Amino acid sequence: MKETLITLSGLALSCALAFADAEVGKAAPDFTVKDINGKTHNLSDYKGKIVVLESYNLDCPYVANHYNTGAMQELQGNVTGKDVVWLTVNPNYSDAAKAKKEAEANKIKATAVVHDPAGRIGKAYGFKTTPHMVVIGKDGKVAYNGAIDDKAETEGDPRSAKNYVKEAVAKLQAGEPISVAKTKPYGCGIKYAN
Amino acid sequence: MLELLKHPIYMRWLSILLLLAALPVHAATTKAKLVLPVENAAPGQTVLAGVHLKMAPGWHTYWRNAGDAGSPTEIKWTLPEGVTAGPIQWPIPEKAKLGDLVTYGYHDDVVLLVPLSVAANATGTGDLKAEVSWLECEVQCVPGDAELTAKLAIAPNPKPSAGVSLIESWKAKLPKSGSDIPAKAQWLDGPGGEKRAILIEWTPRDAKAGADFFPYETKGYAVGASTEFLPAEGGKVRLKKFIEKFEGDWPKEVAGLLIEKPSPDAVQGYETKLAISSQKPVLGSGGGGQSLWVMLGFAFLGGLILNVMPCVLPVIALKVVGFVQQSKEAPARVRTHGIIYSLGVLASFLVMALLVIAVKKTGQSASWGMQFKNPIFVIVMTTLVTLVALNLFGLFEVTLGGRTMQAAGDLASKEGATGVFFNGVLATILATPCTAPFLAVALGFAFAQPPLIIIVMFLTMALGLAAPYLILSWFPQWLKILPKPGAWMEKFKIAMGFPMLATALWLLSITHSHFGSNGPFWVGIFLIIVALAVWIWGEFVQRGSGHRGLALMASLVLLLTGYGYALEKELDWRHPAPAGSAGIQRKPGGIPWERWSPEAVASARAAGRPVFVDFTAEWCPTCKLNKKSSMEIASVRKKLQEINAVPLIGDYTLFPPAITEELKRYQRAGVPLNLVYPKDPNAEPVVLPPLLTPGIVLDALEKASRDTQVSAVAK
Repeated sequence: MKETLITLSGLALSCALAFADAEVGKAAPDFTVKDINGKTHNLSDYKGKIVVLESYNLDCPYVANHYNTGAMQELQGNVTGKDVVWLTVNPNYSDAAKAKKEAEANKIKATAVVHDPAGRIGKAYGFKTTPHMVVIGKDGKVAYNGAIDDKAETEGDPRSAKNYVKEAVAKLQAGEPISVAKTKPYGCGIKYAN
Repeated sequence: MLELLKHPIYMRWLSILLLLAALPVHAATTKAKLVLPVENAAPGQTVLAGVHLKMAPGWHTYWRNAGDAGSPTEIKWTLPEGVTAGPIQWPIPEKAKLGDLVTYGYHDDVVLLVPLSVAANATGTGDLKAEVSWLECEVQCVPGDAELTAKLAIAPNPKPSAGVSLIESWKAKLPKSGSDIPAKAQWLDGPGGEKRAILIEWTPRDAKAGADFFPYETKGYAVGASTEFLPAEGGKVRLKKFIEKFEGDWPKEVAGLLIEKPSPDAVQGYETKLAISSQKPVLGSGGGGQSLWVMLGFAFLGGLILNVMPCVLPVIALKVVGFVQQSKEAPARVRTHGIIYSLGVLASFLVMALLVIAVKKTGQSASWGMQFKNPIFVIVMTTLVTLVALNLFGLFEVTLGGRTMQAAGDLASKEGATGVFFNGVLATILATPCTAPFLAVALGFAFAQPPLIIIVMFLTMALGLAAPYLILSWFPQWLKILPKPGAWMEKFKIAMGFPMLATALWLLSITHSHFGSNGPFWVGIFLIIVALAVWIWGEFVQRGSGHRGLALMASLVLLLTGYGYALEKELDWRHPAPAGSAGIQRKPGGIPWERWSPEAVASARAAGRPVFVDFTAEWCPTCKLNKKSSMEIASVRKKLQEINAVPLIGDYTLFPPAITEELKRYQRAGVPLNLVYPKDPNAEPVVLPPLLTPGIVLDALEKASRDTQVSAVAK
């Protein structure tokens, strides 16, 4: 039944969505969203910090592989700290209660999990697939935009792949230029609610 | 008989997921099957094996380039010795769109074909194993995989199997070779930025509708799935696609399928690999792409032709007088004058180029002749040109020195460097509204270019305009061909005052679009007062013997009163109240023009009527010429009536943005622009050349109505 509803809402979306793009080197579009615990996040609050945005949908086998192997939680845990904010954004149309339960069950180590079916972040950053990653530098400019790694697989250990986000954050922290700043995101298509 | 074993699908992922998390999980529902077209294969034979994927209703799997999301199906072979597998041959996919998300894939079922080559010395029976993995999506995505096996016997006499018909039917759905299709790809913009548009052009074998380009998978960049149609003449199709670069250099070529739809439910694909040329295509003006050099040639020629346009002709005459005088002088001085004049022209074109760039930068659309949008400019120009005419008539003189009128009136007298320079400037300003046919193409090209090219184009045009003078000044001996100076010059000068007066009248008529009928009247009154003041000044101040002070005073009072009364009080010239484009001029018995709007075009087309559009402007002599020679004539009127066409007129005098937008769409920088929309509401409009003949118009209208006539014959 739920699936039918999801399908229908997906079909209702066929009208054009206004997508923006977060171009590397340009100012990251600001946003105001509430996380699953009701806390408000403005991008401008995090000026001077590195911000990682992750488009997330556990029903997508690519995302699921990153979480089921624990690779994503490990990366979140390692990266998130006093100078790095990690927002896990669920842009797909599913209910908030489920999103909260899922986040707890999977021990997501992001700073916050944002349920964002309206695409406040997703549309502003041009998220079309899950997973799709954006890293914003301390200067508020987009530093990385694209896939999480170079291995579009639904099985196997993602730790063996080259992780672009890990590298981008490390380079930003070291103040070095990022070698791969843009890649084509892979994964499952996102269906935004209208 | 060879046994075809069908193994059940293994779903490894299922166990993994079930172990790791309690998620709502779908089982992959796609069924996979390995199909061979033969019972046994002969040595040396190539067998086309098929991996048949049957999707559940609503689910799809992906093509070799999945598009924005998804993942192509993969096949890993384990083959007996002497048998090798080639790459997957993919049937033509469907393009699916959900919001902004575009993917290429297959619904219901698909057979992916793989050529298996049997070596000439192969023998015996071997096991074929294909590990197939895919991603199937509906709203959610689920990965699926299957290990498919079959036995392949190699025997001298090949025998077809029951699977042959399935393989053959899917072989028919493979793309064909497009190597004999002369398609081409060109960059539409420069290499700056992350996204870059390309143009893909070819002539489809069948219908133009439904044409598309499906790009193959790429690394480091992606060819966007969105396809935009650009106008194309004849049977051609022009598609605009965007390439997004992720890393490395821009690609040198694009590979993929040229898609054609011979009928609504048939699709053809032609495999192609196109080198992307950096030649800039010229759209909507016929012909193929034009190189920068050809365009510069046009620009130069256009500039040259501007010399004989009616708006510049009076200035050329003045120049002739100037040369006659100069021929008496030292060659070095003549040469210097030639260079200064050219610099004047170049400087004004440079200013225009910078203006265009600035306007483009602010996001507005720049267009040719746009300075005439400004009523103050028009009135100042009218006054200036009138003064030049009066000067030519000998009403007053302009003496060398820092007088206010020097710039305008220095022209006919002995020229100082400033005068020569200004002469070049004046020639340029007067030339702009005369969009000569050559110039239309060159300008349309220039306005869509990056800043540097715009500057180069404009300067080339300037060189064309200045060329005759420059050459004459360099070879002063050629000046000797010109007649000797004498009394004739004074008469010639006066004669030249008349075309100058005509130019003033033309400028005066433009004020109609800014101020309505009040414009020409009050500006006319002002000009008469100016003429009177100038005459008093020439006759009694310059040439008079006594009461000079009084005369000067009278002259100034007249000027100020005329200005204050006619321009300020009556006309309020700095705050124009445009008459608007309300006044569509319909001559009795003439073409029943309606006002142009995109909606008007759409509704006429929806009614199945052909549409004839004329974008014109008060300040556009070419437009007026076209209207007179090739529109408001009996044969065209009759033809329009005959084919039940809707004639629409778009007035560009005041540069309405909607029309600027439309001009840009057809890569024109200014008017004239004439479009003929065929009766078939889906057909692209035909863009007529800038300079019309009745034949061109009649021919285009005839073609636009062809549908009607074909069906009429069929009935």
